[in-house]
Amino acid sequence: MKISLNEIKKLVPVEVETDELIRLIGSRLVEVEGSEDWGKKFENIYIVKVLSAEPIPDTHLHLCQIDAGKDPIQVVCGAPNVRAGMFAVWIAPGAIVPATYGTDDEFKIDSRKLRGYESHGMLAGLDELALGDDHSGIVEIDPTNAKPGTTFAEAFDLNDIILDIENKSLTHRPDCFGLIGFAREVAGILGVKFNEPSMSSLDLNDKNLEIQIEDEKLCQRYSCAVMQFSDAPHSKYLTSDDVFLAKADMRGISPIVDITNILMLKTGQPLHAFDYDKFVKVGGTNQPKIIIRAAKNGENLELLDSKTIECDENDILITSNDVPVALAGAMGGKNTEIDENTKHIILESATFSLYHLRKTQMKHGIFSEAITRFTKGQPASQTMPVLATAVKMLGGNALEVADCFPARPEQPKISLSLEDINSLLGTSYDSELVTKTLENVGFLVEGEFTIKAPLWRTDIHIKEDIIEEVGRLLGYDNIPLDFAKRPFIGAHIDELLALKNRLRGVLSDRLSAHEVLTYSFVNQKLQETVGEDPNDSYEIVNSISPDLQRFRQTLAPSLLEKTAMNLKAGYRDFSIYEINQITKKSYGLNSENVPEMHTYLAFVTTGDFYQAKAYLVAMLNDLGLNDIDFSEFKASKDFPYLEPRHSAELNDICALGEVKARVLKALKIDQTISLFELNLEKLLEILPKTNQKDLKFSRFPSVSRDITLKVELKTKFEDLKKNIENALSEKCVIYSVEPVSIYQAEAEVKNLSFKLTFSSLDHTLNAEEISDIMKKVESSVTKNYQAEIV
Amino acid sequence: MSTVEEIKKELKALNAEYAKIKTIAPEERKTFGIELNKKRQELEKRLKSAEEAAESENIEPIDITAPSAPNEKIPEIKQGSKHPLMTELSHVLDIYSRMGFNIMEARQLDDEFHMFESLNFPEGHPARDGYDTFRTREGFIPPAHTSTMQYRALTRYKSDLEAGGQIAVVIPGRVFRNEDVDATHEHTFYQCEGVFVSKDATMGQMLGVLKSLFETYYGQDLKIKTQPGYFPFTEPSLELLIEKPKSLGGKGDGWLEMLGCGMIHPNVLKTAGIDPDKYKGFAWGGGIDRLAMLKYGLTDVRYFESGKLEFLEEF
Repeated sequence: MKISLNEIKKLVPVEVETDELIRLIGSRLVEVEGSEDWGKKFENIYIVKVLSAEPIPDTHLHLCQIDAGKDPIQVVCGAPNVRAGMFAVWIAPGAIVPATYGTDDEFKIDSRKLRGYESHGMLAGLDELALGDDHSGIVEIDPTNAKPGTTFAEAFDLNDIILDIENKSLTHRPDCFGLIGFAREVAGILGVKFNEPSMSSLDLNDKNLEIQIEDEKLCQRYSCAVMQFSDAPHSKYLTSDDVFLAKADMRGISPIVDITNILMLKTGQPLHAFDYDKFVKVGGTNQPKIIIRAAKNGENLELLDSKTIECDENDILITSNDVPVALAGAMGGKNTEIDENTKHIILESATFSLYHLRKTQMKHGIFSEAITRFTKGQPASQTMPVLATAVKMLGGNALEVADCFPARPEQPKISLSLEDINSLLGTSYDSELVTKTLENVGFLVEGEFTIKAPLWRTDIHIKEDIIEEVGRLLGYDNIPLDFAKRPFIGAHIDELLALKNRLRGVLSDRLSAHEVLTYSFVNQKLQETVGEDPNDSYEIVNSISPDLQRFRQTLAPSLLEKTAMNLKAGYRDFSIYEINQITKKSYGLNSENVPEMHTYLAFVTTGDFYQAKAYLVAMLNDLGLNDIDFSEFKASKDFPYLEPRHSAELNDICALGEVKARVLKALKIDQTISLFELNLEKLLEILPKTNQKDLKFSRFPSVSRDITLKVELKTKFEDLKKNIENALSEKCVIYSVEPVSIYQAEAEVKNLSFKLTFSSLDHTLNAEEISDIMKKVESSVTKNYQAEIV
Repeated sequence: MSTVEEIKKELKALNAEYAKIKTIAPEERKTFGIELNKKRQELEKRLKSAEEAAESENIEPIDITAPSAPNEKIPEIKQGSKHPLMTELSHVLDIYSRMGFNIMEARQLDDEFHMFESLNFPEGHPARDGYDTFRTREGFIPPAHTSTMQYRALTRYKSDLEAGGQIAVVIPGRVFRNEDVDATHEHTFYQCEGVFVSKDATMGQMLGVLKSLFETYYGQDLKIKTQPGYFPFTEPSLELLIEKPKSLGGKGDGWLEMLGCGMIHPNVLKTAGIDPDKYKGFAWGGGIDRLAMLKYGLTDVRYFESGKLEFLEEF
């Protein structure tokens, strides 16, 4: 939203410097995103009189002499409407074309030769002045009162600063969507009383005009006036209204449209005009019967922009005796459009349910200045004053005036104490200051305090709203800083968060993996590629991006995509992991009736099953989990992309395996990829609760012996290892069994080599004892696995 | 430097000197002896280092700038990386923890109640549009702000409040906005929310706590300023700005918008079963991505979720 400081200054005496004013507005009303100095933008631009304009043969150009206050100046002009005697706007050499001001390529006008003729500066069109879009000719200035050599800025009130306001933070302040409301706040910020500008009034005269509001929830108030109308085109001269509108980024169109727009910019109240005769004819009545009602599902209406919309029950319609003539708040209907034959108009000034208009806005994609204001909830109190002012500005008398206002809301009286204010803000304001601050912006304050907000403040309901006004207008930055008073109680440790940090430390810092983050939503195709059922995923229905279709069920598919990308980028041996939340419909809902979610760690590495396993085991060992028993893979349903014959699981907390060849092929990966996925909530449950380790050291030397066993191929490594451990445990307290190699030279048998280390707690083992221990081991494996000692 | 041979010669000559001792007057003998011993010790020391140097001379020098010797395998020390967003988040959470806040992570799929209703957004209110939320067919919402957890934080720690304590919680989480992605916009990003409720919380306390947070984070004293904001769940609502810190090239001018904050709306407390006449609170929330981008001078937010090793290896 654009706000002109000159317009504000017309309503409020401003004594602070402009920079300070902008700072105060920024800190006490709304974020100022930027400001543009129009004085600079229009510097070196003058009102001139064209003394002569001679056509240059064989061109569309004219050679002109202009009067800019001193000696005649020669300018070549290509506009068709240039002629001797007219007043125009001249951009002098050295000036920047306003339309390019502040852009990356500002265009500076100079003196140059055109077709052999010296041309100094240029005569400007509306578009070049950035005051409109018209490029058909140069701007004409009304000769009445025009004086050659006057600066353009002076003549048209352009020595102004235009603020760019972030209006999102004014969502609750409909009054500030009008200059008057904005100025009132500025007065409040500056600590001066705001003098409300006087508005016109109208007497009711509704004998021949009927208004029916079917549901006052849809339309709080509907006022309108009938008046004579003559279709005057836009003045051929640039008007001060054009400039006023341009300052708000709007354009002059025709007197009636301009007046309604100007009033909207000043008051925040949008207006609409219907052709009276068409209105009556459409309704088949003798006199206007205006019915405001909810649209019926499927009801059609052709709008002013010639588009026909299909309404639903959330749209509000203005009807002529039940025949739709306008989509309330949004756009008028084609059937009642004003044209050159219009003799009378019905001028509407109303308020509508912002909730309904919001839906209308979304459904029909209408984002006009008017509906933007309506959806903030314009106060019903000003429909009549604005209507009256419009009638006056249109220079006419109202033939009929009607006002339907079924339920006049009473502004609530809010009681609060000075203590309420100071204890919430942490301030020590006195009651005199509070009273004055609120009264400056139109609040009625009685005693200490019973407060009634002005009619235009539809956002004031509770005492905190009043406290906000006081804090804001006096400046939050003036609140003395303090600290929350807290007892020295240690914060709880979130175990899952602590685990995640620990895992990140282990994986990234010790095991050289890279942590990635990927989107929570995936393309349905990816799910199908990896064998997941997209129907089990929550479906995103309104995404702008086609890639964000489903909430992911597992993390690995996203990581596989990233693996493919990095392989393609030339990376070889690497591991990536992500810790994030997943969900799927089959998990059901939790006690809060929201989807059950789980936190997973997914780890993908460019290697085979055993590589992923080595990482997993190292990671789990680091967490204090040492006895890790993998079991047969049964979780194909949850992890359909794992090759079942090359996969394993760990209780029901972890799946580990190689990715199916078919999946890899679809992802254009031509090497073995393995991964594991771990449910961190379940991992947390089985983690040792203490960090205390059962440390086993002996001060006596330990003995190491290698042993190689030839066993059947089907013999499980872990079984054999356990067997050795059991045998050792019978003979000594301290022992370890480490794998050395697995070697297969012939079919159906393999050689497994282990390194056995053992010691005694109370003496140095002698040769006999060592031999005894080894014999024990050998006899056990020979007996249980028919192992042959190699 | 003298060679080993030369030093040995000198040493031999010195040893010969000892013979002179007999020819010297007895009263000078002591001094003479001490002198000689000192010289000999020096020479022996020089000899030792000369001998060591001579040993090295037989060894071929290597190219210390090369990653390996010729014909040898280049040693590979693989290094992993933590995601910069997670690192930044940990850093922030660490400060909050030290300040005494409990941490509660946000969930990534939520409902209208937590996302809007419990936060005093009236149904169908246009303020809901400002959040560009994603929606699922089943009516759930991937939350657009971590405030979606406020109700849970309030109800979970309400008993602390009633026992005479306070509610002090921070909520990190992944949040989503349905918008096109470009260098400065991501549909997926991280926020951290804070909630504090006590018998006597004030806005002055809120501003003091937040100032202290950023001062700890940036390791310097900082000026702060505010601008009015609008959030249905806080009243009054503010935006907090901090002076651009020195580590980001700040020179005492320039401001950074850091977070939205305000005094918790009485309706929000009421919904969570907390009596707004007895207790007051403040809440705030800000983006983590922005902190990381400022810190590392990143100009393109899309790197964060790109999964590119080229990017991750930098961290």
